Amino acid sequence: MTVLGYLANGLVFSSIIVLGSIGLSLVYSIADFANFAHGDTMTIGAYSALVTFGAVGGLGGAVLGLPYGFFLALIVGIAVAAVVAVATEKLIYEPLDVDSIGLLITSIGIAFIYRAVIQIRFGSDFTRFDVRPLRPIEALVPYGVRITLHDVAIFGSAVALVVGLHVLLQYTDLGRKMRAMADNPDLARVSGIRTKRVKLWTWVIGAGLAGAGGVFLGLFNQLAPRMGFNLLLVIFAAVILGGIGSVYGAMAGGFLIGMINQLTPFFSNVVEALPIRPNWLATLIENLVTIEYANAIAFVIMVVVLLVRPNGIAGEGAT
Amino acid sequence: MSDADTENVVLRVDDLQKSFGGLAATDHATFDVERGTITGLIGPNGAGKSTIFNLISGFYEPDGGTVEVNGTDVTGMEPYEVAERGLVRTFQTPRKLEGMTVREAMLVGPRKQPGESFLTLFTSPGTAAESESANLAEAERILAEFEIDHLATQPATDISGGQMKLVELARAMLAEPEVLLLDEPVAGVNPTLAKKLKEQIRRLNEQGTTFLLIEHDMEFVMDLADPIVVLDQGHVLTEGPPHSVRNDQRVIDAYLGGGA
Amino acid sequence: MSLLDDPKAAFADLTRPEWWVLGVSVAFLLFLFVAMLTGGLSPTYFLFLVGLAGMYALLSFGLNAQWGFTGLINFSVAAFFGIGAYGTALMTASGSPIAGGFNPLVGLAVALVVAFVLALLIGIPTLRLRADYLAIASLGLAEVVRLIVLNERWLTNGSAGLRGIPGFFVGWPVLSTFPEAMPGLRLEVVPGSPVFLETPFWQASLNGLLVVAFAGGAYLVLRRAHRSPWGRVLRTIRSDEDLARALGKNTYSFKMQSFVLGSLIMALAGVFYAHLNLYVGPGDLDPITTFYAWVAVILGGSGSNRGALFGGVVIVTIREGTRFLNDVALPIDPAPLRLLLIGVVIVAVMRYRPQGVLPPQRELIWPSAVDGGGTPETPDSGVRERKGGGGDE
Repeated sequence: MTVLGYLANGLVFSSIIVLGSIGLSLVYSIADFANFAHGDTMTIGAYSALVTFGAVGGLGGAVLGLPYGFFLALIVGIAVAAVVAVATEKLIYEPLDVDSIGLLITSIGIAFIYRAVIQIRFGSDFTRFDVRPLRPIEALVPYGVRITLHDVAIFGSAVALVVGLHVLLQYTDLGRKMRAMADNPDLARVSGIRTKRVKLWTWVIGAGLAGAGGVFLGLFNQLAPRMGFNLLLVIFAAVILGGIGSVYGAMAGGFLIGMINQLTPFFSNVVEALPIRPNWLATLIENLVTIEYANAIAFVIMVVVLLVRPNGIAGEGAT
Repeated sequence: MSDADTENVVLRVDDLQKSFGGLAATDHATFDVERGTITGLIGPNGAGKSTIFNLISGFYEPDGGTVEVNGTDVTGMEPYEVAERGLVRTFQTPRKLEGMTVREAMLVGPRKQPGESFLTLFTSPGTAAESESANLAEAERILAEFEIDHLATQPATDISGGQMKLVELARAMLAEPEVLLLDEPVAGVNPTLAKKLKEQIRRLNEQGTTFLLIEHDMEFVMDLADPIVVLDQGHVLTEGPPHSVRNDQRVIDAYLGGGA
Repeated sequence: MSLLDDPKAAFADLTRPEWWVLGVSVAFLLFLFVAMLTGGLSPTYFLFLVGLAGMYALLSFGLNAQWGFTGLINFSVAAFFGIGAYGTALMTASGSPIAGGFNPLVGLAVALVVAFVLALLIGIPTLRLRADYLAIASLGLAEVVRLIVLNERWLTNGSAGLRGIPGFFVGWPVLSTFPEAMPGLRLEVVPGSPVFLETPFWQASLNGLLVVAFAGGAYLVLRRAHRSPWGRVLRTIRSDEDLARALGKNTYSFKMQSFVLGSLIMALAGVFYAHLNLYVGPGDLDPITTFYAWVAVILGGSGSNRGALFGGVVIVTIREGTRFLNDVALPIDPAPLRLLLIGVVIVAVMRYRPQGVLPPQRELIWPSAVDGGGTPETPDSGVRERKGGGGDE
């Protein structure tokens, strides 16, 4: 594959990571804890869409190789993820009398419950959406880019959702309050913002975007009960890279981490071509920069960012 | 500086600077704390008193300037290293040690306990036990001096805020500081306990401990401290004995201007 | 456990939850014992359960030394467990690609050394981080360790895992041939359903002995450490790290010591597991092991060693109970059911009893220092009725 090909794949994968990281970042700052159930919220979105799509079928026509029914399923996936997240907030997190570390631990329990329910209902095997697999777009193949119309749909929908969020944040009252709260929750509280309501909307938006990310992840790879949990750390890496609490940082972080992840094979070619001395170092690096370690590279980047710039690459330096 | 000077000055703050996001919280602050004094540090809200405490005790790293304890440059050291050189501080809000009794919380105070080395616990448990007995006796003696020995086996989370302030002071004394920094020792403390605290500080001072304290209660600080350093917008406005500070027009202006 | 150390005083000041746990445990043991005598539960399997319980107790002890004592949110328990298991397996297993055939004692030593080095490698960068960042970073680094074990075939055999691990007592005088040398016994307590005690049973007894030795040793070390000035500094860090720093404690060093100690105990659990299971694979580094240990510790009561022991037993009950349920009554895949139960237990504990079932209840001062000996006294009310979660950050 060519560089262009890896970049194109990176763009598609980044779209999914961005959808996941926005919600994780918003909840981290507004609800004030690291939500380990966020990955499994994505799984919920994916499986809800699977069930809906199975029930309604294609509904006639198709856009970008995807039947109308799939888009309906996408909306249901988003809605179910949001409803489940709000219900969890109301029934579990809100009544708890623990600090943010206690909430973090609780969210692990929630993550297990989500995943267990899905696994009991659907089994632990992989499954796919019932859409016909497409061939790569012919016109792009000569450039070494092998993406399908589905990939275009994923990227397009993600851009539409992100632009929608941008409009919401910049031009609505709710958006301004959310940004204020993400920035400084205490200040927002004393300045009379009804934080409870904003928090609830944060869950709706964060989980809804995660649900969409889950549906696209299922389309991009396949569905499995562990799909979300497996992606959780990559999303955390994106959020930390972008700076916790910053929606635009999360977008940038998600974009970068997704790109790095998909570009790993390319980097591994580059490393092989570089004249690294001594030889043992060259061997070591060549062995580590491989597709098997694509996720590990993201985690190491995350730890390094935490150490040198805990407020993210765009935020202010360490205090 | 002369030798006599070094001997008399237990804490020297020289041209200290710190800014947050372009805002100068400490702006070229310079003052000395002489051995044997109770030095007061006052100033309107936002004058940067707590920032200075954090800079001196090693919790913040200064952008410029130096801090000396007993003639040793401690600038940029970790808080524990500063404490090892004889400077101990307390905090504005009493820190509650959940799950400990009062005397247990007191026992955190002594520095360099043999039992704080993991290996000693197993290679020579006798040494650890001996020093623990001695420290416990000392803790109970100090609690008795502070007239709060009846609280010794109470859970540390169950006592009042004022009592907690007393325990904090007592615990800090177990660390045998040469200079003790107190951050608002009587904030939120009822008048009876505040009076008790004042007596204790005075008594400990007579026994040789130097104090530097931040306090908003003017009556308290004017009665207890001499000299008094006045801070305004991060720099030292003036310093001197209470009566001259009290009548200094610049101090009055600073307090009025600061909206306090 | 406290019964073993100090029988007289232990009964005198048991709290109500302690009575409950003691009662339920005794009843549970009696139930298992009766099941065993009547042939419903094979004694060999019972001893296997004891081994597993001991192993989870060890993991929980290790985590308790980090989270319970110091408040370190370590999500890399599985990595240390796996490193312990792989460390000894690589030295002793016939299928090891690099060494193999060494005495298990060499395996134990190598496992502990490797775990020590890994603890430093993970601890040096992460222990300066905020509590929640430590959680995320340690989970990420544990995943890196898992990926290395999975992919570096020349070192670990990759996904095939390591076979041919000997029992721990291989090559020891007497003990190595003990299981074969013991006569097969046939007990008939209930007429018609005899119980056989043969070589596998004696083998399992040895394993039981080993885990009791490991867990007992770890427990004694932790108990002494917990009530020492060293442990007090850790507990101060958990409540308020700044206070410890202001009082002249090098908190980074103390956190590192607590992290290393806990990690070594987790590796010990891994060593035991390798010689119990006689096979290790990359699946043993799955993060679920980390969360099993977490459930055990928060259920038992953070900071309480007895609680960790209790939690370990509950985990085995969940693990093996779901398997049993699947075999006997409900045909539900045990894996998700386990996950569900673990999740429900976490949420329920945080909701209804965030301090855990057996929170540490006693004043922790070096025993001989308090009024010239005897046990530390119990304060009037529970001093440790703390809310879940760590110190404020």
